[in-house]
Amino acid sequence: MNLDYNDEQNMLREQIQKFCESEYDFYKREEIVKSSKDFDPNVWNLFAEQGWLSMPFSEQSGGLGFGPIELSILFEEFGKALVIEPYLSTVVLSGTLLDKSTFSEKNDLIEKICTGSIHISLAYAEVDKGYDYLNPTTTLDSKFILNGTKTLVLNGSNAEKIIVTCNNDETLNIVILDANTSGVSINSFSTVDGQSCSEISFENVKLDKSNIVATGNDAKNLLKETINLATLCICAEAVGCMESCYHKTLEYTKGREQFGQPISGFQVLQHRMVDMFIESELAKSLLIKAMLEVNNRSDDMYKHVSALKSYVGKSGKLSAKEAVQLHGGMGVSEEMMIGHYLKKMISVDALFGNADYHLKTFS
Amino acid sequence: MRTLFYQSNLIYKEKNMDINFSKEDIAFRDEVRDWLANDYPKHVKEKTDAGITISKEDLIDFHKALSKKGWMGYNWPVEYGGTGWSASKLYIFNKELGLAGCPPILPFGVGMVGPVIYTFGNDEQKERFLPDILNFNTWWCQGYSEPGSGSDLASLKTKAVLRNDLDEDYYVVNGSKTWTTLAQNADWIFCLVRTDNSGIKQEGISFLLIDMKSPGIEVKPIITIDGDHEVNSVFFTDVKVPANNLIGEEGKGWTYAKFLLAHERFGIAGVGASMRQLKRLKEIISKLDNSDLQKKVNELEVALSAIEITELRLLSALENGGHPGAESSILKIKGTEMQQALSELFVEASGEYALMYPGPHGYENNDKPAGPDYAAEGLSGFLNLRKTSIYGGSNEIQKNILSKFVLGV
Repeated sequence: MNLDYNDEQNMLREQIQKFCESEYDFYKREEIVKSSKDFDPNVWNLFAEQGWLSMPFSEQSGGLGFGPIELSILFEEFGKALVIEPYLSTVVLSGTLLDKSTFSEKNDLIEKICTGSIHISLAYAEVDKGYDYLNPTTTLDSKFILNGTKTLVLNGSNAEKIIVTCNNDETLNIVILDANTSGVSINSFSTVDGQSCSEISFENVKLDKSNIVATGNDAKNLLKETINLATLCICAEAVGCMESCYHKTLEYTKGREQFGQPISGFQVLQHRMVDMFIESELAKSLLIKAMLEVNNRSDDMYKHVSALKSYVGKSGKLSAKEAVQLHGGMGVSEEMMIGHYLKKMISVDALFGNADYHLKTFS
Repeated sequence: MRTLFYQSNLIYKEKNMDINFSKEDIAFRDEVRDWLANDYPKHVKEKTDAGITISKEDLIDFHKALSKKGWMGYNWPVEYGGTGWSASKLYIFNKELGLAGCPPILPFGVGMVGPVIYTFGNDEQKERFLPDILNFNTWWCQGYSEPGSGSDLASLKTKAVLRNDLDEDYYVVNGSKTWTTLAQNADWIFCLVRTDNSGIKQEGISFLLIDMKSPGIEVKPIITIDGDHEVNSVFFTDVKVPANNLIGEEGKGWTYAKFLLAHERFGIAGVGASMRQLKRLKEIISKLDNSDLQKKVNELEVALSAIEITELRLLSALENGGHPGAESSILKIKGTEMQQALSELFVEASGEYALMYPGPHGYENNDKPAGPDYAAEGLSGFLNLRKTSIYGGSNEIQKNILSKFVLGV
């Protein structure tokens, strides 16, 4: 039994922390949010230089061969700094799916992801399908013609390539195509947490065999595993947010004076902050369990990710709401960072199945 | 920077994270399970399985069985006849006993006064008291709380005055203690008493061992809302206590009391026992086809898993030579909230039969239970377990501790 991170993992965390402190403060983030791209190409290049874009890929594909533990560390730290760069979309959802597939061009694409020279999005969700991603209505017919509409495609506006889940004669297919293929139309909008996503329609888009990434059970397993890993990542992000909510609230109440004393001296606020601390520790415990199960590829890995997701969906929002409340009027000011954690928690709960959904899945 | 990671991959052969117990620990777990299957007294098991409160004799039989196996001193060093177990073995032992539905090991002797005696007592006291604790020949109770001193324990007033008569040194004790668990069965009581009023309140407290047969002691039952007689008031009127029953130095009692609290770190969350309750609750609810209850029990299962892993994190920190910090207060708060939530869900699962209450000992042999058989047990558990968030430093006191040591406010 050892539940401590090893030296290398601690170094990774420190490196990300330092980066976020020096290169990604809240003002910098605000600039990026307001920019037309919703991410910063310079920051993305720095990610590539640090090796972060290569982290989860196998060494055969040119990656660093790191697993869910290191990804969780990265996302925890991203959560604390509220990083909005499209790491989840390009590296986790698209990159790891390709890496685990037998797609012939995957090495080339993964190399481009590692060097930061391509963005790829995974189009897995559809209107009216809820959280059921395995039975899309988008169709691929026998002549490889793609028809349908995908929704909430993260970073869709920046993607040069799109990976699409579709149905081919009742069999799940995963295909990849250029975003500028004729018949593809993209409509983009902002998300609550400062990122962007798109609705993408495919109207008689002509593909061929070379566009196929996976079919049948392979496609199903690939999709399930990828979404599970991405779910773990955003949960780690939420755990980072919860820790920051607690730290920032404590710092704020120690500095804020009313009635002639710091408001941190009031027991009613102390106990609420203790609750925030406890919730963040309990969420961290579930994160450790889930990431180790995913790392060991155990039979229970889906179950434990569901447990974690259902927990952070509830307690993450609770922590962020408490943080806003304890910041008083400052908590609802757009120019303060604290309210943005609440927005992040809303997006974490909404993605890949909310708390109620995962509570059902868990049992 | 990228090469840094390649290099570090080669340089560091650090221990990786691992949530599994060692082979040795697994073998130990099997030994505990084996004992539970074969040597845990059957008549006690039958009662606890049926949710019936066990008698004094049952409790003695259970503890004697542990003594016989050499496991009574589960938290003691080998030097004093204990097991010398590692933190992980201690955890496994507690969890397995909880999972099997054993009654909690009475903490007052082996868990509380024992460690105080072998740490601060003199040789004569060690020889006189420790073997009887390990063999469960003496039943100890705890004299801490007083009618006017609950969470503010240091304000206690029970007074001990040193006298000398015919070359005999003794204390005369006057005052009262309350919420004294199972004092009606006890042979001895360890007490915090006031020996000095001149300085700050913590400094005038001493730690005294008192024979319950001493003239001037009166035990009066307090019946709790579940109808049971578990706790008592204990009154002291001119009780004569030999001076050599004082532990350590006069006036240092508060230090020993704090040591005692820190010593009771394990099993505080009651994870094993809660897991057993959860499993039974899931079985009951799965038959009811009630999605609201199903959702509630799922939530508790996730939360219990979070508590379990938090306890494992504490364990891992201890095994790796770390010093645990706030974890024990977290475990006290969340563990007791869990016990209460589980018992409350039992009551909810009883539906309208939560109305029926036969008392703490369940239905007598000739009575036919009305409604589901878990209704009475659920209700007595629900009422009885209200105490868990009040005792051992109330959960609000735990939050004050966390405010001070974690928040730094």
